[in-house]
Parts: sequence; C-alpha cells; structure tokens
Amino acid sequence: MEQANPLHPDGESKGGVLAHLERLETQVSRSHKQSEELQSMQAQEGALGTKIHKLRRLRDELRAAVWHRRASVKACIANVEPNQTVEINEQEALEEKLENVKAILQAYHFTGLSGKLTSQGVCVCISTAFEGNLLDSYFVDLVIQKPLRIHHHSVPVFIPLEEIAAKYLQTNIQHFLFSLCEYLNAYSGRKYQADRLQSDFAALLTGPLQRNPLCNLLSFTYKLDPGGQSFPFCARLLYKDLTATLPTDVTVTCQGVEASSTSWEEQRASHETLFCTKPLHQVFASFARKGEKLDMSLVS
Amino acid sequence: MDAELAEVRALQAEIAALRRACEDPPAPWEEKSRVQKSFQAIHQFNLEGWKSSKDLKNQLGHLESELSFLSTLTGINIRNHSKQTEDLTSTEMTEKSIRKVLQRHRLSGNCHMVTFQLEFQILEIQNKERLSSAVTDLNIIMEPTECSELSEFVSRAEERKDLFMFFRSLHFFVEWFEYRKRTFKHLKEKYPDAVYLSEGPSSCSMEIRSASRPGFELVIVWRIQIDEDGKVFPRLDLLTKVPQRALELDKNRAIETAPLSFRTLVGLLGIEAALESLIKSLCAEENN
Repeated sequence: MEQANPLHPDGESKGGVLAHLERLETQVSRSHKQSEELQSMQAQEGALGTKIHKLRRLRDELRAAVWHRRASVKACIANVEPNQTVEINEQEALEEKLENVKAILQAYHFTGLSGKLTSQGVCVCISTAFEGNLLDSYFVDLVIQKPLRIHHHSVPVFIPLEEIAAKYLQTNIQHFLFSLCEYLNAYSGRKYQADRLQSDFAALLTGPLQRNPLCNLLSFTYKLDPGGQSFPFCARLLYKDLTATLPTDVTVTCQGVEASSTSWEEQRASHETLFCTKPLHQVFASFARKGEKLDMSLVS
Repeated sequence: MDAELAEVRALQAEIAALRRACEDPPAPWEEKSRVQKSFQAIHQFNLEGWKSSKDLKNQLGHLESELSFLSTLTGINIRNHSKQTEDLTSTEMTEKSIRKVLQRHRLSGNCHMVTFQLEFQILEIQNKERLSSAVTDLNIIMEPTECSELSEFVSRAEERKDLFMFFRSLHFFVEWFEYRKRTFKHLKEKYPDAVYLSEGPSSCSMEIRSASRPGFELVIVWRIQIDEDGKVFPRLDLLTKVPQRALELDKNRAIETAPLSFRTLVGLLGIEAALESLIKSLCAEENN
C-alpha cells in the first residue's frame, strides 16, 4: 500500500482512514500506558513519600527519645551528686572534728590530770613525773552524787587521800584533784630518786638503802671513794613536807678517826647542803664524777 | 525518585542507629566515669549506712561533752593539740628489740585569763622490760606577760622540763589570782569611800584612804609567789603613808611595827578578815 499522507485529502482514503484509526488507537493505548505508568509512578511516589514521612516521623521520635534519655541521665547525675556530695562532705567534716576532739582529749594527759566519763561519774587519771621523766599514773573513780564520793582508786594507802578529800572534795573539786596531784607527784619523785640511787650508784653505797613506803624517810651509808675511805658517811633524809621532793631535814654523820678533822667536817657539811638542795641521784652523780676526777689524778 | 529512595535508605539507617542508642547505656565516656565514681561513693556511703553518720554524731557528742567536763574539772581549757611522731629506731636497736620514738607536740589553750602555748618533745624508749618516756624539750609561751612572777616560774618549768608542775602551779596561781580579784572587788563594793584600786582589781595592790584622815594611806601589796618546787602561796605586805606629825606622835611606834603586825594579823584572821579590820580601823570615826 502506498503510504497515505493523512494530510492528503483523497486518494487512498480507505487505507488512510484505517491507518489513521490505527494510529489513533496506538496513540490512545500509548497515552493510556503512559498515564498508567504515570499513575503508577505517581502512586509509587506517593507511597514513598508517605514512607518517607513516616520514616522521618519515626526518626524524629527516636531522636527525641535518645535526647530525652541522655538529658534525664544527666539530670539524674546532677541531682544525685550534689546531695550525696553534701552528705559525704558532712561526714568528712564530722570525721575531722572527731579527730580534733580526740587529739585535745589526749592532750589533757599532759596536764597531769585527765579523765573519762563513766556511767556514774568520772574516772580521773593522775599522771606523775619527775624532772621530765614520766612515771606512774593513778586513778580515782568519782561517783557524781550528793555528796560526791570516791568509788574506788589506785592511790597508795600511805597517801592521805581521806584527809585531802575531807578538806576539799565536797567544796572545791579542782582543789581536791590538784592537791592530790601534788602529793602523788611528790611521792613519785621521791620514789624515783631512791630507785635511781639504788640502781645507778650501788657502787658507792656500803649498805642497803633503807626506805619507807612513802619514801619520805631514807637512811643509807656511802663512801665517796669505796677503795680508799675507811669509814662511810651515814645519811638520814627526812621529807616532812609530803608535797615536796627535797628533804626538810638532813643529817650526815661520819664515824671514825677522820671525823674530827676539818676537811671531813667540811665535806660532811657540804654533803648535808647538797642533799637539801639537789635531788638524791644527782648528788650521787656529782660524787661519782668527783671520784672519776680523783682517779684520773692518781693515774696521771 | 532516586533522591527519595536515597532519603528513605538514609532515614532507615538513622532509625536503626537511634534504636540501638536507645537500648545501650546512654552516657559517653566522661559521663560514665563520673556516674561510676559517684555510684561508688554512694555505694560506700550506703555500705556504712545512715548508721555510721549517726554513730559519728553520737561519738562526737559524747567526746565533746567529755571534753567540756574535763575542762570544768581541771579549770584548764585546751583548744588545740597537734602531734608529729618520728621513729628514731636504728637497725642496731631493732636487733636488740629496742624502739625509740620521738613525739613532737604543740598545744594551746587557756586557764581563765592566762593563755598558754606549749611546744614539747617526748622521747619514748621501749626495750624488752619497760617503756620509758621523758620530756626532752619544753617551750612555753604565756600571756598576759605582765605577771612577772609568772615569767620566772615559766623559765623554771622549762628548765626542769616539768610539764605537770607547770599546769599544777598554773592552776593554783590562777586560783589565787581570782581569789585576790574577788576579795579586792568585794571590799571596794563594801567600802567604796575607803578602798581604792588605782590599778584595777586584777593588780596586786589595794589602797585604803579615809576622807576624814587626809594624809594617811595604807597600801596592801598582795603578791602571789611560786617557789622552786612550784608551790604557790600568797605574800602580803603593808605599806604605810602617814603625815610627819603623826609619826612624831607615834610613841608606841605602831606605824613602824605595822607591817610585821599585819603579817601576824593575816596569820590569825585570814586575809579577808585582816584586810577588813584594817579598813575599819582607819575609818572607825566614820562608822561611829
């Protein structure tokens, strides 16, 4: 068939019409197709779009949820920390204060007078010392009642505790305690001197040191020069004042031939003075030093 | 459409990641450790529990009341105490089971109007038989420094390294000091026109004058002394100031012997009564 030109008016018009119709048909089906495709594409696009919308919404929700979670944790930490920190700081402050108070309580021991509260009153601890040497401690357990009374104590029996208590315990407890301190410290000091004499200067003693429990009456014999001197000195020390560590009455005697000579007399008198003014063991320490000097002079 | 598909894929990936983030522990590294730390602390705190804080408070309260009781009991108020310990044990000593420790203490406080600051060292030597402790150094700073009697006493205590004597004597000194002050004040209140405390009630002197006896003056000097042994005792002296004319008239030499007689009077009547009798004797005319 010859090609028909649609625009050609006659001629093969029959073939042309069919062709035309065919062509139209194709066109329609094509556009149908196209519109279908378009539709489906549109439909597809619509679905995607919705999907995207949905996904976007979901993502936003999740983001918000995560942020919220993080924020709440932060807030949690922020909330939790300061409170607990405050409590912990309080505890640390308490502990520090406690340490401080304990240290101060310990310090009272250095005043010579310290104590602990008991269920009925107080247990007072009296510490003694002599020339810096810390010696024994004694305790007095007081019951706080009217009248104040001593429950029990470790004060030696020869210390006049009842006397002191009778004078001061009810009216002036401080005076009672410090007075007792005086007696106990003096006793401790005398005892210390006597002990040191016995232990450190036994070589100069020619006999045993005689002493009473209160250590306020001492009697002993000694030689300055154990080898050379023929007769020993006899010393008697009496400490009338029980609150003192130095004797009130000292007698030094020397028997024997040399006793009458002036040099011995001088020595005897000087010894008496020494015993009255210096602690016992220090006097003997000076004797020992003199003895050393003498020895040295003999050698040289 | 490709762009949209790409977006879809991207969104899906993000969502997946966000989902994972929701399930895992949320904190980044620093937050984690901070949380851990505070949790640790909280845990420990809770371990010890509320109880311990209450315990601490109870303990502190108990000790504080013990402290205030001691302070009242001794009259000595210690406010601060610090200590350092130094181990001086040498290897030689350790072999012989000897231990040597040096403690350095610093303490401060007050006993009524006197404040003190002490620094001292204590050497502790522990051998098999016993423990010996000795004060090896003592430094005392005291205020007020005007009390000259106190400064002598302080040097003696430092020399002797006698801590206990220091506190004992301090206590007795302050007791006497307060008693003197009270007595002077009391007499001033009772006889305002006769008693004069020109240096205040804390000083050691009191003057007795009478308006009706101008030119006459009795001065009581009341010192508080501390002897070698740390014993505290009062020492009273009477000084007289009389007009020349009165001295001439004094045939019995009463004025000359007054100081001695006063001492005897104090011994007989006690301090307060003796002082009062002196006041009355000078102002006798007024009372009549």
